Amino acid sequence: MAHYRSLRDLDWGLIALALLLCALGVLQIYSATHGTEFRDAWWKQVIWVGVGIGILLLVAGVDYHHLLDKVPWFYGLSLVTLVAVLLVGERIFGSKRWIPLFGGFRIQVSEPVKVMIILLVAQQLARVKSDRLGLSNFLKLCGLVAVPTLLVMRQPDLGTSLTYGVILLAGVFLAGLPARHWLAIALVATVLLPVGWSLLKDYQKARIYTFVNPNRDPLGAGYQVIQSKIAVGSGGLWGKGVTQGSQTQLRFLPVPHTDFLFAAFGEEHGFAGVVFALGLYFLLLMQIVQNAQWAPDRAGVYVCMGVAAVLLFQLLVNVGMVIGRMPTTGLPLPLMSYGGSSTLAVFAMLGLVNSVRLQRFVN
Amino acid sequence: MEPVPESQGTRRLRWLIRGALVWALVIFARLIDLQVIHHEQYRRQAIRQSWDELEVPAPRGRITDRSGETLAISIPAETIVLNPKRIPDLSVAVDIFTEVLGLDRERLQERLEWAVAHRRGYLPIKRRISREEAKKVRGMNLDWVEIHPDSLRRYPKGTLAANVIGSVDWWGEGNAGLELSWNERLRGRPGTLRIMRDARGKAIETEVLSPPEPGADVGLSIDERIQYFADRALHRAARQWRAASGSLVAMNPKTGEILAMSSYPSFDPNRRVRSPGELRRRVNQAITTPFEPGSVFKIVTLSAGLEAAGLQPSTLIDCGNGVIRLFRRRIHDIHSYGTMPLEKVLWKSSNIGAIQVALRVGERPLLEYVRRFGFGRRTGIELPAESAGLVRDLSQWRRTSIASVAMGHEISVTTLQLALATSVIANGGLLPRPRLVLWTQRPGGGKETIEGPPPQRVLKPETAIAMRRMMEGVVLHGTGTRARLAGYSAGGKTGSAQIFDFETGRYSHRYNASFVGFAPVQDPAVVIVVTLNGVDRYGGIVAAPVFREVAQAALRILGVVPDVVKPAPEPVEAEEAYDDLALAGLGDAPARPPRPAPEPAVEEASVTPSPYVFGPRAPNLYGKTLRRVLEETSRAGLRVEYSGAGLVRAQYPPPGAVLPAGEPLVVELAR
Repeated sequence: MAHYRSLRDLDWGLIALALLLCALGVLQIYSATHGTEFRDAWWKQVIWVGVGIGILLLVAGVDYHHLLDKVPWFYGLSLVTLVAVLLVGERIFGSKRWIPLFGGFRIQVSEPVKVMIILLVAQQLARVKSDRLGLSNFLKLCGLVAVPTLLVMRQPDLGTSLTYGVILLAGVFLAGLPARHWLAIALVATVLLPVGWSLLKDYQKARIYTFVNPNRDPLGAGYQVIQSKIAVGSGGLWGKGVTQGSQTQLRFLPVPHTDFLFAAFGEEHGFAGVVFALGLYFLLLMQIVQNAQWAPDRAGVYVCMGVAAVLLFQLLVNVGMVIGRMPTTGLPLPLMSYGGSSTLAVFAMLGLVNSVRLQRFVN
Repeated sequence: MEPVPESQGTRRLRWLIRGALVWALVIFARLIDLQVIHHEQYRRQAIRQSWDELEVPAPRGRITDRSGETLAISIPAETIVLNPKRIPDLSVAVDIFTEVLGLDRERLQERLEWAVAHRRGYLPIKRRISREEAKKVRGMNLDWVEIHPDSLRRYPKGTLAANVIGSVDWWGEGNAGLELSWNERLRGRPGTLRIMRDARGKAIETEVLSPPEPGADVGLSIDERIQYFADRALHRAARQWRAASGSLVAMNPKTGEILAMSSYPSFDPNRRVRSPGELRRRVNQAITTPFEPGSVFKIVTLSAGLEAAGLQPSTLIDCGNGVIRLFRRRIHDIHSYGTMPLEKVLWKSSNIGAIQVALRVGERPLLEYVRRFGFGRRTGIELPAESAGLVRDLSQWRRTSIASVAMGHEISVTTLQLALATSVIANGGLLPRPRLVLWTQRPGGGKETIEGPPPQRVLKPETAIAMRRMMEGVVLHGTGTRARLAGYSAGGKTGSAQIFDFETGRYSHRYNASFVGFAPVQDPAVVIVVTLNGVDRYGGIVAAPVFREVAQAALRILGVVPDVVKPAPEPVEAEEAYDDLALAGLGDAPARPPRPAPEPAVEEASVTPSPYVFGPRAPNLYGKTLRRVLEETSRAGLRVEYSGAGLVRAQYPPPGAVLPAGEPLVVELAR
């Protein structure tokens, strides 16, 4: 707590925006689950948000440089837990993502690993003193990120593993990778695409197919996307009102309180509500970018931009999926979707941003 | 701490933000597309998949006879509907319902699998289940089973008047008879129910959009009791004489009300039609099957003779010696009567006599009378598939046609048309319009009487009366002696027309045997026409007894006071006495040997027991004193009403007839 100048120096605008989004989320979780077996989800989410604020304050109070120094430890711990989850994890809906904890709680390991990746990328890139990122440094960083990414892919959880790649790419872009290296990356990616395709599970391939043509299998793989589009479209300009959305209430929407929460939100609050929520996200992201610009050093920039990249990526992928502009991936909507691990991870990231912000007052 | 690389770093940051904004714009465009531009389309899609519109069947109207006896009624029934989306275990579901509802296992399995694969939430598996089945299913209390209201059509009298009433199909719509022709009014209007269902098909909320409007009740002119005797007598005779088909119409000649209308073969309307052949049994023979009438048609020829040619019943007609020269051809009659009065021509059914009369009338006036009697056009009865019969235009007549038509050939008619034509003579010269439906009544509304158009004059009253007397002679002295009634006078005409075999192109040795008649002669209360198709005996033998049986019952039921005191004399036994065969195919030689009888139509039609066949029979009280009458009736436990003094001159019901329960025996005494 030594580094606090004052509580006043925290980014209260950022925190207010986040809490507003959480409130919208809780309202929607309530509306989507009342009268179902998930009817407790909304107050559980309230508790997660409370705990999240605690974590935010805790992280904000620590100088992020100390955290960067501990990255090797975090990295090791992450690998151990990721391997552990593959060995002893709880299998839900066909993938092993969770480690059971006390009292029926369980943690989705890949979520805190996101925070670790942000720190890892920031730590590695901050060590580069030039304005250009060299190939060896680049490859080294790629290798470091690849190990946890592949472990998460094995769960399988393609969506989350992609967010790791996004953090890496955002960092590498900011660090200034030469154009020819980008070209090389593109080349390698093209070559690896067929290989990657063959590694995809059948259900993942089906998701790509149905993204291209949702009517290919309207009652099977295409069902979720079609129902989601109907939900959003039928919401219209002003929406049907809280607990009034037929798609949500009659459970045509799959998991309307987690991955497809935004579809339920779009149905019940309409275009107006969606624009309002996306506006809040925009302000939140701009606030983070502003913190990046005011960061005391390059490491701070990378931390903030890593956070911004993860949040933006998840936001766009989730919303894109809901409206049929992205293939189905299991990525939750940050701050709004129900889920302890992801909520806590997002608050930890916001804590990092605040930590960066507080450090500019130090010198 | 090193300084932040302002220029480069900020530039790259800007690029990142721009890239993100492009992505955000794509999403915004899509949101506008979904929520604003195509909102209506998605809104409708959402409504379509969450709201189901269900038809609530309206109870079908009741059909009753003239006194309100129920002939057809709809009773509430239930239909079992499964929600395949919520079935936890398909094989268990299949097991349960093959067991409880007796369904075909493989078929059910197949339908369920299909429904699950197509995410159907609504699958009716058995319609109109029995009460016990409904109870069992309800008792299981499964949340994926729904029991929907439905209705079941029942015909409590079974085969009684089945060919008139008709039947309904699987969907409850009429497929024969009155059920078909009056379907619109009987069916009512089904209501609509909106059901909100969740994605798994569970009903969340229901809303009645419009309540079902029950169908109107329909009251027929049919008298259930007379119909019973008509069905019984016709079917018995048709089986006895191995008829291919047969029909009977009993009607009130003055009002045109149909009192009974019978068909052979018949059917049980409670049973579903399972093959097209079965639906064929459901036609109403009396109106759908035209045939060449033969000698019964002579009543038209002779009526025309009386009126248009100025003949009298006593006018002598030269019937030759069994030979007539017609257009340079010699035509042989099987009968050889010489010269006889016109009335006797009718009694004996002389072919040459009828031809002579027709020649005196002339082609054009004869055809005019045929048309005025209602032949060649539909009677307009409220039943489906009525045939108009066939009456050729004069332009299509050959030179011998006048002779053929005079004897009821080269013309085809229905039993109902014959009944209406007979009514003309019975009621004093008016052609009535048939009335089958007397009234309809919407639920909650008053009775609406159905009136037909007024009758049309065909004959002068004196002509009709003269014809009645002549037709009484047929029953008393001619070919119709087997139609004599106990206690009543009757008039009629027999007929047997050879059936034209379209396969061989010749007339066969099987007949359309018919009898047209009325009783009593002075003031006819009932006209009855009987036709049996494809028999090998004359109408006077085959059809006349059916008339007698039905007329006897109808007159008693209608409460007509007997007008004849002496009991009916025994009918003549000699077969030739009944020879009323019309000359078919003039000039041709119908020389084919008789073919083996066609297979009689299968299936014994079950006949509903009636109260009118059980009970005490009336003793013969004719000629007895009042004292004897009272002794006999009190011994038999009968109630008696008497009037006058002296000896019993009339009694009702006649001797041997069944007394309806509680009805008194009526006797009239005179000195």
